[in-house]
Parts: sequence; structure tokens; C-alpha cells
Amino acid sequence: MTDPNAIENNPFIELGEIPEKKYKEGYIIDSTYITVRDGVKIAATICFPKGLPPDAKIPTVLTQTRYWRAMELRIPFRWILDSMVPNAPNPEVVTSRGYALIYTDVRGTGASTGSRITPFSEDEIKDGYDIVEWIISQPWSDGNVVSKGISYTGTTAELFARNLHPAIKAVIPGHGFWDPYTDVAFPGGCFDHAFIQLWSFLGKNLDLNNPKVFRQIMPDAWLVVKGVKPVRTDKDLKMLNKAVKEHHSNQYVYEHTIEENFRDDQIQNGSSFDDFSVFNRKFEIEKSNLPILAWCSWLDSGYGDAIIHRFMNISNPHIAILGDWTHGASLPANQFFPDRISVTPTPRDKVNAWINFFDKCIYGEGIQGKMIYYYTLVEEKWKKSNIWPPRGHKYQKWYFSENYSLKIEKPKNVSGDDSYRVNFRATTGRNNRWWALLGLPITYENRAKIDEKLMCYTSDPFHQDTEITGQIVMCLYLTSTHEDGAIFAYFEDVDEEGNVTYITDGEFRLIHRKILSEDPIYKILIPYHSYKKEDSAPLTPGEITEIKFGLHATSVLIKKGHRIKIAIAGADKDTFLRYPPEGRPTITISRNNIHSSYLDIPIIKKQNEGEN
Amino acid sequence: MEELLPSLKGMLKEAIDIDPDASIMTIKLTIKQEIEGIIAEPEEIVIMLKMYGGLKEDMPMEINIDNETQTITLRFEKEEHFNKVEKIFESIWENAVDLLYQAMESDFSRIKTIPDIDD
Repeated sequence: MTDPNAIENNPFIELGEIPEKKYKEGYIIDSTYITVRDGVKIAATICFPKGLPPDAKIPTVLTQTRYWRAMELRIPFRWILDSMVPNAPNPEVVTSRGYALIYTDVRGTGASTGSRITPFSEDEIKDGYDIVEWIISQPWSDGNVVSKGISYTGTTAELFARNLHPAIKAVIPGHGFWDPYTDVAFPGGCFDHAFIQLWSFLGKNLDLNNPKVFRQIMPDAWLVVKGVKPVRTDKDLKMLNKAVKEHHSNQYVYEHTIEENFRDDQIQNGSSFDDFSVFNRKFEIEKSNLPILAWCSWLDSGYGDAIIHRFMNISNPHIAILGDWTHGASLPANQFFPDRISVTPTPRDKVNAWINFFDKCIYGEGIQGKMIYYYTLVEEKWKKSNIWPPRGHKYQKWYFSENYSLKIEKPKNVSGDDSYRVNFRATTGRNNRWWALLGLPITYENRAKIDEKLMCYTSDPFHQDTEITGQIVMCLYLTSTHEDGAIFAYFEDVDEEGNVTYITDGEFRLIHRKILSEDPIYKILIPYHSYKKEDSAPLTPGEITEIKFGLHATSVLIKKGHRIKIAIAGADKDTFLRYPPEGRPTITISRNNIHSSYLDIPIIKKQNEGEN
Repeated sequence: MEELLPSLKGMLKEAIDIDPDASIMTIKLTIKQEIEGIIAEPEEIVIMLKMYGGLKEDMPMEINIDNETQTITLRFEKEEHFNKVEKIFESIWENAVDLLYQAMESDFSRIKTIPDIDD
């Protein structure tokens, strides 16, 4: 939870007070099919404020999902809750503020017809244009459309901007990726096998309207959900059945990624991950110059990095928010305060803050420039900056040294190394930042015991409070007994009692180690690896190799008396594919004057602040 | 859904009349809230009894659904079947909500006892 006392620079407060409701009687629901340019029918559920005068004109919030826009409940729940739209976040808040809410199933999913070969396809994006045309032709529309969402719907909201339609006024992508290859599917080139497999499995069963899948993976949903909600006029379910039949030709990412590992591999229909990324579409998004409010959290997969990369790379007027909650902000995710149980602000208040943003963009002065709000863990304060990295950002080297220590001073000895035989049972479990994409809590227990099985280096106690904000870069000089392998590095805080708290981590597949000197595909602050097949190379066993990569961004205060620790593993078995597929490498890390392995840590220097 | 849980039992009891008649071995459900379209398919009644009522076996019963009057009539040939289902309906709404509550608390022990459901 963000500390409720963190008032200063709090973005939710700066977005303005929540005004009185315009409509207080609740909302009414309808549903319909919207036919798009190629005849595909998009299922749409529409919520209007109850009590809307017949001649009133209102703006619309559009959300486009691939996880069913609305659910048909099982009896008896359907008999009492049928007036609800369970899959739409807080429709009562949106409608009470004088907006219509339209929730659609993207083509090839839910009750919509058509099929899908890739997520976020060009056809899917263009449907947004046709939906806007339909919306603004309705008698109740005032001609303004905005879009928001979380996760998949966050990305559809962001890509909605690409339609360059004058009726679109602002977008709010929440917890969405920027680069699907590194943010979710292959962080550091390591295949997030667990999530991609489950996500594809879930998607396929949703598209085939098969609720049985919930029994295993979401039993609480299975108890109440019968399937996707048909459109109201589809009484004989002919359209729904037609839609599901068409979904049989859908393709799913996992079917391809199990064989294809590189950024430039063609995974579906000649497309690579880059083809459905956001960064590849940045020029059209910039052309729209639409105001963007992007929000996420430090520990949500690689999506915290996505927020920063979006902020650094897109020129649109822009607010970015990085907090300490789970994917979608349903739960807190702050390892320093594991007992906190609720998120501040509440989901309801968040939606109100988003509507404040939309109000500004439609009726007010809009937003100018760029501002990123980020929450510093342990210090429990919001900060804001109009640049990234923030002012005062300076890298400080910490060298791997003898007796498994981390020191500011470069080692003086000409020899010295440490070896680690990879333990393929090592795991961060199923409540880590990657599994969080499935809506699960994020929990990294006290890692003191887990670290006993890893290779760890620890600093002396800090002499003063020190803020670390940004991406740590790890540089290892290592040899391996095998041609392939991976490094999983956990950056941690150690308190006076020896409790070890996870801060962030980074993972890297060693065949991708080549650092390119050319401009990266978008601005980054860490070494640039292409992850392309042509740039990959097996290790030469026994030969010292430089491995340099970035950990996921964080902002944390290391308190006086605490120590920092880096714990190194070669596997995370419940999440990532094993590298190499067979064998058990021994990795040796050099820590001497010639090959000095180190961490480059982004410290925020305040004025008149000395060295640690 | 979470915020509705405490009131769900009361809402179900309020919304649905259960009227068993042992003399003709029928149980009549009346949905008081107006429902648009069909109120249920016959197989949904069986699924409801299995999921929330603990019914394990396939039981012969005639199910008549009247969408106009929003009534569902279950007719049984055997008294033991009638008695069993009548007993289930005594606590089915409480069971349904308790089951859901447990699942939301990540306690799936009772869900595991539910037989295969043909959705």
C-alpha cells in the first residue's frame, strides 16, 4: 500500500478533488453489436447514467478487452446480479461522473465475431476507429471519446491513440507493456514460460467460451461464471455460436514461442513480438499528440520499466505514475510492509482520479509537458520529476570482493574468483513479479534462507540513508562450463537483524551478451542487447566473458545501518525456461583487479550530500 | 463481488421462493425479480444442484421452466429423490455463498468435492 500519509507529490491528490456526482441514481446497461469495416461484429456493453435527460449529450469512456467484456453468471447468481457488469471496473463511478462506458470484446474474442492471429493486431486497432465512428453517431454522444484500461485493456487504450481520430481526447494505459519481448515474454532473453503458457491457455478457453478452464485456475470465478455474456438481442445465441466457431482459427503466442526464442523470430503469421509492441507504433501515437496518463507499479513484471521507457521515448503530454501495488492495483506490493492489506487510493478513488484527468482533457486546459510520479519504498514518499532519470541521479560502482563482500573500492588482488554450481531447483515461487500478471499477490518472503543456496555478495552497513532510484547495471566477468546459461540476480536490503528483503531483480540469458554500439530501438539507460539470433553466440566454456545487463527499475531508500546484497542464481524454475536445457553448469565469477565484476547502482545525490 | 458477499444470502432468499409439495412430489421455484429472456435452461438446474447443493449422482426428475411466470417446477417419481432435493433446497443458497466465500479466501477444499460438471 502506498502510505496514506504520503501527501506531498501524491499524483492522485494532484489530479484534483473528486467533485460531486453528476448522476446519483446508478446506471442502466444495454448491449449491442457494432459492425466494423470488414463486417466483423464487435460485441459492446454500454452503461449510461440513470436519469440522463433525453436531450443530454455525454462523452464516452471506451475499454476494449480480450477477457470477456461481461460475463453470463450461473443461476442463481444471474437471477439477482444480472443487472451488473462484473467485468467492467467501477461502472457506477464512470457513469455518475457523466460519462457513458462502453466495454467491447476485441475481434476474435468473447461474443465478437472474427478471429485473431496476434494480439494487438492492426485490424484490432483499426476497429477502435470504427467504434468511435459508431459512438459519435449516437444521439447521446457529445463527440468526445477517451479510453482507459489495465493490462491488455491498458495496451488497447494506448494503441487506440494511433487511430488519429479527432473525437479521441485522451488515453490512460494502466499496467501495460512497452516492449512485449523484454517486459513480459523474454525478460533478459529468458522465456517466461509459466505466464505465456497460462495466458495462452486461458485466452484460448475464453475465446471458445469454455468456463471449465476456470475450475483449475480461477475456482472462485468458475463457481459463478457460466461464460461470456451474449449481446442482449442475441436471444437464440446464434451470433454467439457463430462467433465461437470463428474463434477456432485463432492463434496463441505460446504455440509459437516454445520454439522461437529471439526478438526477430517470426512467431505468428510472419509477425515478431516487435510488430505488436507499443514502441513500434510510437510515431503514430506521437502524431496524435494525445494526453497520456500511464500508471503501473515497480513490482509488476517488467511493466515498471515499460512506464519509464514510455516516459523517455514518447513526446506526448504525459503523466506517468509508478506505485507499490500489484498488477492492476488490487493489492499492495511493498515487501518492506508485508502486513499492509489495502491499496491507497482505493480502486474507486483511482477511477475518480482518472475521470478528473479525462475532464481536464475534454473540458479543461488539458495537460502540458511531462511529469513522472514515483513512490520510493522504505522512505514511503511520492517524488515527481519532469525528466528521467531524476535530477541527482549518479551511478556508483560496488565491486564484488573477497569473502563475498561488496565494496566501493576496486579489488587490488590480481586473482580471485568464486564458483557456483547452478541449482535448478532455485525458485522465487509463484507469487513473484511475473506470476503477478495473472492477478496474484506479489510476495518475496524474507530471503535469508533462500539466499543460502545462491551466490551472494553483501556490503558493509551504510553510514547514511541512501536513495537508489533507477536501473542497477550488473557487470560480471564469468566463465561457465557450458555454452548456454542464465543469470538471475536479486538485489536485496539486509537490516540490522539479518532480515533480507527483496528490492528488485534482473535476469539474463548469456548467449545474448553482445552489447551493440548502434542506437537502440528506443532510448534505454542500460546496455543494449538486441536479443536477435544474429547477435547471439554460445559461451566458450572456460573462457572469461563480460556479461553486462540491467536489473528492473526501482526506487528505494537504504537506511543507515542496513546493507545491500546481491544474490545470484542460475534458474528460477517456476517461472522461466531452463538454460541450458540439460546439464548443470558451474559459473565462476572473477573479482580481481583485472576482471572486476561490479554493480553500477543509481544513487540519487542530494545537494551537500557526501559519499556513503 | 466481495462487497456483495455478506448480503448475497439474503438477496437470494428474498428473490427466490421455494415451494415444495410432498403430496405431488414437486418443488416449485419462483423468481420474483423480473428477468429478461429465458430464466434458465433445464441443465442449469442440475448443475446448480451439483455445484451448490452437493448432489453427487444424476437423478431422474422432470424440469419444467415457464419463462412467462418465471417458475421452475421439478417433478420426481420417487419419494427418496424428492426428499433429497427438498433437503438440498433448505440450505442451497447458504451453501452457494459459503462455497464462494471460501474460494475467494483460497480455500478450495469444498470445490474439489464437486463432481464433474458438463458446462
